[in-house]
Amino acid sequence: MTSDALTTTSLYKRTLLAGLWRENPVFRLLLGMCPTLAVTAAVKPALTMGLSVVFVLVCSNIVVSLMRNLLKPHLRILMFTLTIATFVTIADLFLKTFVPKMSETLGPYVPLIIVNCIIICRAEACASKNNVIISIIDALGMGAGFTLALCILAAIREFISTGAVMEIKVLPAWFVPWAVLSMPAGAFITLGLTLGLVNLISKKRA
Amino acid sequence: MSKIKLFIEQSWLLITASFFFGLLIAITNTAWSPRIEQNKTTKVDDLMKDLLPKAEKFEQAAELQIELEKGKEVTSNIYKAVAGGQCLGWAFNCEGPGFADKIELIVAVDERFEKFAGYAVLSSNETPGFGDQIKLSYYRHQFAGAPAGKLELAKTGDAEKINSEIVAISGATVSSNAVVNIINTFVVQVKTQMQEKGLIGDDK
Repeated sequence: MTSDALTTTSLYKRTLLAGLWRENPVFRLLLGMCPTLAVTAAVKPALTMGLSVVFVLVCSNIVVSLMRNLLKPHLRILMFTLTIATFVTIADLFLKTFVPKMSETLGPYVPLIIVNCIIICRAEACASKNNVIISIIDALGMGAGFTLALCILAAIREFISTGAVMEIKVLPAWFVPWAVLSMPAGAFITLGLTLGLVNLISKKRA
Repeated sequence: MSKIKLFIEQSWLLITASFFFGLLIAITNTAWSPRIEQNKTTKVDDLMKDLLPKAEKFEQAAELQIELEKGKEVTSNIYKAVAGGQCLGWAFNCEGPGFADKIELIVAVDERFEKFAGYAVLSSNETPGFGDQIKLSYYRHQFAGAPAGKLELAKTGDAEKINSEIVAISGATVSSNAVVNIINTFVVQVKTQMQEKGLIGDDK
């Protein structure tokens, strides 16, 4: 392999891995807090939300990257929003068609992906400045990081509030569920403690 | 002329993108909307089947206008539960404000509209662990067999007694009250309008 090819490969690898830890949208950048707090009461809705965001992120990054040279600076946010809204509407229709129960569970939080800061942030910071391949890799990395963060928080909350994970009972019948973890207060408590833990690990690694 | 040129120069991408994105959404919606409608119908059918399990099919019998507070009107679809050509009961949709959001219910009554067969939650956004217990059978069972008229909510009492007194869910009085209020608002108006239309009565 030539040194150019190696550099490109390492760039792709670095871009892909950035979203998982170093620039994780939830734990490091504190973006997308609305779905992070709202849909993490159980793993299944959190996973669905994460995958919906991955779809919207990949599609919008591709479109923004393709039209990056045509964008007028003062109209770019409008174009980003238009692009994101289109793919969010398609994702919402998909869920209503093929997984109607999950669509009901997620309620208004799927249409609210339109205003998710992660997607507009990646369109502005990456897709509008890079080629399609980098934009797709960035979207996959960030989307995977977001999905992973949501699933970690949801697993903790579901485990303690119901004694189950993915609706599979894990704890014995004598366990008294902590219902507070399934409520908004539980979302803040879990997120706060997880952020503290992530900061602690980051400091130790630094 | 130069203003039009400037406008086109600045906005051609936005106009073109809007057209294509609009077209994309229209195509997706056209392709999937029949299935979305089917999903809604299936859900209503499933809930009615749970409430009136002996019914073979549900026929839409009427569309009634129900008056809510502040002069607002909503449509309630009345379904006739049929088995072997005989009417087994009636089911209708109703809605009203809950603790956090609108609550939509399916209510079923017997063939003479004298007793409730029960209710099921079509959609709600009540507090998990508290208000969303309106979906659970330990609260819902109080309605099955209760007289099909005005119900009253009691904070304490014997939930096993089936009568017009409904015992509230502990810690979720607002949601419990919302269900009772919604049913009270609809049941009287639906019964009156069905009698006027001749759907129920002594000879039916």
